[in-house]
Amino acid sequence: MPAVVTANVLHTGTVVYLDRHGRWVEALDQAAIAETAACRASLDGLAAAAVARNEVTSVYAFDVNLEGGRPVPRSVREKIRAAHAPTV
Amino acid sequence: MYRYDEIDFAFVGERALQFRDQVRRRLSGELTEDQFKPLRLQNGLYLQLHAYMLRIAIPYGVLSARQLRGLAQIARRWDKGLGHFTTRQNLQLNWIRLQDAPDILDALAEVGMHAIQTSGNCIRNVTTDPYAGVAADEIEDPRIWAEVLRQWSTVHPEFTFLPRKFKIAITGAADDRAATLFHDIGLKIVRGRGGRTGFRVLVGGGQGRTPYIAQQIADFVPHEHLLSYLEAILRVYNLHGRRDNIYKARIKILVNALGIEEMRRQVDAEWALIDKTATDLPPHELERIRARFAPVPLTAAPARNSDIEARRRSDTAFDRWVRNNTFPHRVPGHAIVNISLKEPGKIPGDASAGQMDVVAGLAERYGHDEVRVSYQQNLVLPDIALADLADVYDALVAAGLHTANTELITDIIACPGLDYCNLANARSIPIAQAIASRFADPARAEQIGPLRLNISGCINACGHHHVGNIGILGVDKKGTEHYQITLGGSPGSDAGIGDILGPSFPAEEIVDAIETIIETYLALRASDTERFIETYRRTGKAPFRDALYGTAGRQARATVEKLENANA
Repeated sequence: MPAVVTANVLHTGTVVYLDRHGRWVEALDQAAIAETAACRASLDGLAAAAVARNEVTSVYAFDVNLEGGRPVPRSVREKIRAAHAPTV
Repeated sequence: MYRYDEIDFAFVGERALQFRDQVRRRLSGELTEDQFKPLRLQNGLYLQLHAYMLRIAIPYGVLSARQLRGLAQIARRWDKGLGHFTTRQNLQLNWIRLQDAPDILDALAEVGMHAIQTSGNCIRNVTTDPYAGVAADEIEDPRIWAEVLRQWSTVHPEFTFLPRKFKIAITGAADDRAATLFHDIGLKIVRGRGGRTGFRVLVGGGQGRTPYIAQQIADFVPHEHLLSYLEAILRVYNLHGRRDNIYKARIKILVNALGIEEMRRQVDAEWALIDKTATDLPPHELERIRARFAPVPLTAAPARNSDIEARRRSDTAFDRWVRNNTFPHRVPGHAIVNISLKEPGKIPGDASAGQMDVVAGLAERYGHDEVRVSYQQNLVLPDIALADLADVYDALVAAGLHTANTELITDIIACPGLDYCNLANARSIPIAQAIASRFADPARAEQIGPLRLNISGCINACGHHHVGNIGILGVDKKGTEHYQITLGGSPGSDAGIGDILGPSFPAEEIVDAIETIIETYLALRASDTERFIETYRRTGKAPFRDALYGTAGRQARATVEKLENANA
């Protein structure tokens, strides 16, 4: 299952995603998509380093579907987070 | 109302300074998240779905105009100009940045407020009747005792790390408007021999995944011994409450495991050992606190005001508002005004900074500088002269705060749900909005009559679904949001826990399901004045279940037929 690594910026709490260059971005579309165990391990390593540098907190990965090559969260929760806003 | 003295201000200021240093150390990396998390939670700062969330304590739901303006200013400066009033009579700000939290705590301290004990396994903000001190049906003002408990429980060293969080509610009125039967401890002020007041003490109530109605552990504790008696309960709980399982850690589980008789025996044994002179409140301290709650000096006036009556006859909207949103005051010629934060289509419990300023202004001009927050997520102006009702109403109309729906179907309690909360399984707010919009016609809502409809986005029950006459619980069913309906709950003196009616509904069907329940009630009720809860208790759930699942079944069959036809 393809997955994306997410976190919150430590200073602000803003929801962010890890891109393939190891940067934290707010747009889910720009997130790195881990489709293999090796890729996932690499992202996890980058995320752990960012935690150690006090950039982000609450790191975890979640499952996505790929639609036209773009990641779409499988859960409602992550869809709401990715919108950076409530649905109301 | 209570005003901070220099000790209170010094304490809160010191805590804010302490937290500033803790945040600095976290941001610089001196503290890890694991080390910092308990510290931020002790100051009400959560990390939620989109951002940090700050839960600000509003002690027993009482605010001065200055404090409400202070909250508005914080919402404007450090959030998105909105605040969310909660079922704990608190205020939550949903878009807080950690780096701003120290400045926010300073701003709170300036107006005599804080966020201490709004999280963690401690004694949380004590809640009470939003009409305390002014209700016509009250024996004694419970705010005095809520303040006593606030001072006693604030950073109480023995009760800072309990097995789980601990909630106390207190009422002094005949009508229980504080849901005391659903708290870890519920206190009801009663009269004993010779007319002296004391407390009926109830223990082990709660909602969450295991709802219980509190049981009576003492029929009368003299008020001078309240603190030692509560200390005895908390000691028994602290010793025997389960710390091995978070789901079994609340006192309600202990009470039901031991049985109320054994719980009482242990509490009485503990109480006998406590040095009451050292523990109970000295009479002069009680009098000091009581003096802070001296009733507002109001001049009695005729119970009917001819100008107001004339406007009621000519203005149906005003008449409806007076009928639904004003309540009897202990002083004739005055009213308690309920300000609804439940305009259909809006987010239940949300108020903009501008609206908070308007309410603060009304409190200053007409309301003797006092505002209350109710656990139903509304605001209250407790001391309004009947002669001022029209002016207050007109100002509320201008601010969009005039919805005339107190305790009607659109006065929905809803938790933030999956739109904001990390724990939620499903959204609450859009369901509340859709139901309120369906029943937005005020005449129809009045025709349906008093009805408590509560929605929670998960089993933790922050939206009090268990005690809704109609309760809705959001659940995750294979990745989609579904909603389970319960009927027959009640938070008041006639406490009840709702019965699950049947299988859950997807979001797109829940409003129709609620309408089916309402139509069934209207057809079943014995008279226009038989309330929903009375009809339900008279008929039981069978007619509602049949109406609902018959309809749902027919809809399901229609959907299947439609699909089959499309595929044919």
